[in-house]
Amino acid sequence: MEDALTLILAGISVGSVYALIAIGLNLTYWTTRTMNFGQGSVMMLGAMMTAVLVAGGVIDALAALASLVVIAAIMVFTEVFTVRPALKIGGSMGWAVSTLGVGIILQGVAAKYFGSQAVAFPDMVFSAQDYVEVFGVRFALQYLAILVLSVALVALLELLLRRTVWGRAMRAVSMDADLAAVAGIPVRPIVLGSYIASGLLAGIAGMLIAQTGGTVDPAFGFDLMIFGFVAAVLGGIGSSSGALLGGLVLGVIEKLVGGYVSTAAAHGIAFALLVVVLVARPQGLFGQREVVKV
Amino acid sequence: MTGVRRLLTALVTNPVAIGLLVVALFAGAGWMSGGTLQILTFLLVNILLAQSMNLLTGVAGQISLGHAGFFGMGAYASGILMKSYGLGFVATVPAAVAVAALTGLLVSFPAGRVREFYLAMMTLAFGLIFREVVREWNDVTGGAMGLSGVPSPMLRTLVIFDLKIDAAWYFRIVLIITAAVMWLLHNFIQSRFGRAFYAIHVSEVAAGSIGIPRAATKRLAYVLSGALAGLAGAFYAHLVGYLGPESFDLPRSVEVLVTTVVGGLGSMAGQVLSAVLFTFLPEKLQVFAQYQFIVYGIILAFSLIVIPRGLAGLLLLPPRFVKRAALRRVGDAAEPIRAVQATSEPGLRVERVTMRFGGLTAVDDVSLSLQPGRITALIGPNGSGKSTLINVISGIYQPSSGVVRFFGRAITGMADHRIAASGLVRTFQDPRLVPSFTVRENLLLGAHRLFRRNGLAAALNLPGAIREEGRHLATVEAVLRMAGLAEVADRTIESLPYGYRRLVEVGRALLAEPRAILLDEPAAGLTEAEMALLARLIRAMKQAGLMVLLIEHHMDFVAELVDDVVVLDSGRVIYHGDVQGMRRDPQVIAAYLGETEDVDA
Amino acid sequence: MRHARLLGFVAASALALTAGAARAEDTVKIGFTTALTGPFNEFGEGVHRGVVLAMEKWNAAGGINGHKVELAELLDDQLIPDRSVQNLRRILDNKDIVAILAPSGSGPTLAVVDMVQADGRPMCNPQAQTPSIVYPNGLDKPPRPNVFSITIQNNVEAEKMADVLAKKFTKIGLLHESTGYGVTGAKLLKEEILKRNKNAKITQESYNQRDQDMTAQLVRMQRAGDEVLMVIGLGADMAVNRKNMSRLNMNIPRYGSAGTVTQPFIEGAGDLAEGQRAVNFLFASADPMRPATKEFADAYKAKYGVDRWWGPDASRPQASMAGTVASGYDCANLLFDAIRRANSTKPADIDKAMEATNKYPGAIIDQTFTPAKHNSVGPDDLVLYEFVKKDGRMQLVPTQE
Repeated sequence: MEDALTLILAGISVGSVYALIAIGLNLTYWTTRTMNFGQGSVMMLGAMMTAVLVAGGVIDALAALASLVVIAAIMVFTEVFTVRPALKIGGSMGWAVSTLGVGIILQGVAAKYFGSQAVAFPDMVFSAQDYVEVFGVRFALQYLAILVLSVALVALLELLLRRTVWGRAMRAVSMDADLAAVAGIPVRPIVLGSYIASGLLAGIAGMLIAQTGGTVDPAFGFDLMIFGFVAAVLGGIGSSSGALLGGLVLGVIEKLVGGYVSTAAAHGIAFALLVVVLVARPQGLFGQREVVKV
Repeated sequence: MTGVRRLLTALVTNPVAIGLLVVALFAGAGWMSGGTLQILTFLLVNILLAQSMNLLTGVAGQISLGHAGFFGMGAYASGILMKSYGLGFVATVPAAVAVAALTGLLVSFPAGRVREFYLAMMTLAFGLIFREVVREWNDVTGGAMGLSGVPSPMLRTLVIFDLKIDAAWYFRIVLIITAAVMWLLHNFIQSRFGRAFYAIHVSEVAAGSIGIPRAATKRLAYVLSGALAGLAGAFYAHLVGYLGPESFDLPRSVEVLVTTVVGGLGSMAGQVLSAVLFTFLPEKLQVFAQYQFIVYGIILAFSLIVIPRGLAGLLLLPPRFVKRAALRRVGDAAEPIRAVQATSEPGLRVERVTMRFGGLTAVDDVSLSLQPGRITALIGPNGSGKSTLINVISGIYQPSSGVVRFFGRAITGMADHRIAASGLVRTFQDPRLVPSFTVRENLLLGAHRLFRRNGLAAALNLPGAIREEGRHLATVEAVLRMAGLAEVADRTIESLPYGYRRLVEVGRALLAEPRAILLDEPAAGLTEAEMALLARLIRAMKQAGLMVLLIEHHMDFVAELVDDVVVLDSGRVIYHGDVQGMRRDPQVIAAYLGETEDVDA
Repeated sequence: MRHARLLGFVAASALALTAGAARAEDTVKIGFTTALTGPFNEFGEGVHRGVVLAMEKWNAAGGINGHKVELAELLDDQLIPDRSVQNLRRILDNKDIVAILAPSGSGPTLAVVDMVQADGRPMCNPQAQTPSIVYPNGLDKPPRPNVFSITIQNNVEAEKMADVLAKKFTKIGLLHESTGYGVTGAKLLKEEILKRNKNAKITQESYNQRDQDMTAQLVRMQRAGDEVLMVIGLGADMAVNRKNMSRLNMNIPRYGSAGTVTQPFIEGAGDLAEGQRAVNFLFASADPMRPATKEFADAYKAKYGVDRWWGPDASRPQASMAGTVASGYDCANLLFDAIRRANSTKPADIDKAMEATNKYPGAIIDQTFTPAKHNSVGPDDLVLYEFVKKDGRMQLVPTQE
């Protein structure tokens, strides 16, 4: 029983990581129906730049801030020079290829200037030894921080979307960008804003995750991004609370399968779950069906 | 630029030039170094793989992020069967193709249900599941250690019929098979099958409306794409002689997708160019030394933006989807639409149909019937349920209650493509054509349900298949003339003004040689001259004995064409009779109070 | 084929006539493909630098029997097996090349090694640890005639670790990465432990490189009541795993493969590294350095300075460079020395000379091959280290285990 609790808590921990990534991916999906396939590299860059700057003697917070500023610039670049032109051209998924390309560029740049070997990431918020006890089982504060952040972000996003002018504008853009533009809503800033916000979330996620593992290297983030996608789809693309739940469900299932069935099967089962959900409920476990008009 | 494109296109589509190239490579193999032979064989593998991806993503429009899975299936199947079970090359390669095709079939069931981003996610998951299975199934695949010692011509360990195959002969074998497969594939894509793939690519609903079964068509695309990837995989397995899970991981899937996109979606020749580029690129990128990873990223990020239609769009004219042999054969012969055997009883009966969406009743207890050789107008204010009724009749919606009978048979609940295939077709408010097809190709697409020759005949360009296509092309010619489209017959839809598109869509429905046709606002946005052509088309339908149901707001247009009028208001039939009667009917006038201009116009 | 040779002969004769002296004969040409860019370039670039240093050393001394050494083909494969295969074919097509270095990593090396064996020219393997690279038919069967390895082969590491683990523990948790290296290493180690103690209970679990959480694996080990955890993998994953144990309050002794003694683990695990034990070369801690090691280290410092490859411990670069720069250096030196002794560039002669290599003073160890043994590193060259925090920093202390 204690095992089960340990596994569930571990599942919630990694699940909140997936959720955080999925929430970031969702943001751009709302505004442009695209997701940044280079998100893994953005996470990597956030963590790796911070680590390198800290190693070079910069204060933690300043290093993190500098990295986030760079990320924001990269996201603007990505939107303006790859996503938007790709969407203009039409064709179904050109943006996937071009954002993936940006991700590879970032990875190459990081390998060139920071080296391809893993660099240590400093303990910024909590260390691996910090924990709280939940029914006699340790729950690491590093993960708790991620979980709290994810939940807070979901609450904040829901609040922003429902209660503020910007939120309503964003929803309008999400429904129909052309119509929103006609209605005088500043579509461009909203789209750019969603990309920047998505990047910042990814950057923060990268730092928090690198901290739990202790290191970061240029290839960091890609696998996590895939699980972020899975979480987003499980929860229902476009729903931030869905992304949170999707991430947690994915994490817990993965850990329970790993703990009780086979660790080798854990990833495979996560992907199989994705296929099953896509077939049975394309709108996701917690999402609402998009009405298709003929 | 167009001149250059025309020249290049003439070159790459010229059978003699291609034949010469193949012969030259075949003969030249004897003089090539091991490295050249090897990289050229890699090139052929990449060409096959790109064609596989192009068929599925470029032609049929089903994006795949897990193509390494199909490729790996073929590679492991051939490698394992030969190494562990001692089967010969002539058995393992077809087996690999079959295994990969079967994988394609299995994937098509879940994948056929989702689209776009969801499909990307599903195929991604498929690729990753394949990777996990390969990595964990140690006893069969060699697991993470990989499978070494697969017989390979590079090591002189590959034996076919007791002959030791060297690198040159392996290259020749792969070359001949690749060339043959490309020829078959080319013919296949230029047949009704390729056109059907394109139709579901552009609009599944529109494809269904002319009798193209979307599930079966997608299934076929997955099976063929799987088979092609499996063939590439089998060749790859023996080329390298070692199979490791990292060779079939996500980067491979991405690489294939990128090759296809850069080559130009839908263009077979573009795929070849792109495969050449990406096969030799790593070698060329070596000059960038430590920057080559970055350069690769730059190519991915911006190639689509710099050359939106890929290499093919840059260098070549767009591919065509009609068999040239059939075009030559038919010349400018025209054959009118065959008349339907006239019957006096109503062929289409809508019996007490009700359609509710949640709390909203869009169609309320509607009954009507259509007679062969008569045109019935369906009119009513916006939101009165006209389009919903057409959607119910054509099988897109299933009614909440009531029955639609077509020549006595209840068709409610039948799939839209089956209804269309039984001779009941429709058009849409917004024309749903294939934008990159010419007018002629779009019209020919309408005849899809009438083709009888199978895919093999189409791929082999058998005389029967050419004859059949020629026959329908002759009918297309007749419709082109009748609709005033002959001048633009060979221009693509996307290059034409809106009015033409409407006419083409109506013409396409007519090409299906239906017994009943439902036209949803065909005159909207047409000029006077175009309307006259449309009227001519609709009259021709009547003369051919078709039942015609016409939704239209334009009253002058309706008045001079139709025999009967049905008026809907708030989902109910409020009038049924002739045009004069309608104009006097108090209920109709009341319903149109807010929209008097429509009645009086 | 015959035409090609004839053509080649004619061309070569023409060249010889016009160029006067046979210039192609002048230099000893080597070539290799490795991961110069991409996610694994730390390995490939390291090997490359080692080879360059070895060449400079020989050329400064006048070359091999008067012939300068030349790196005729240096190709990048990014650790992608297909590229390795294509690159190596190109290298083998260059008939002037007399010796080859293997690519980084087991996948690419396994993909090319059959080709190299069929070709016959000698190859030295600086990094890949899978035994079947050298011994395709089993460890007790003869090696490939022209393939030599100076890495810590999986089986050697397994023997060393089994000696230590089987003596002290019966319930052993064995965690490994899901790569060829990890899977083979775990399999061999399990066999070796059971050979020494039939009653040993082993929990074997795997993880994927860069997994960020290994709770499920660790819980399974806790449930089995394991008394020790042995990890086979790379340093960064090792750090993840160490932190994960800390979160689970799991405090059993930890042992690790050679990958533990790398910067990512030491820095990534931070203070948690203390108490960790890991196997590595004896030379990693030799103080003062062996003369050959010092010569190598000085040469590196002079050319490249104190950088990423040099490692965090400025006074002891050998620990950080053992698996990368130093192995490339030793591999190249061994090939050059064999060519010198054979005084020939014929493959068979070089192979024979390689097999006669006896205590060549390499940067890593004194290298020895025999006709039956084509891997130089044995269990005796390895030692078990413990991470101890001394003077405010983590240090490697050899143990008696």
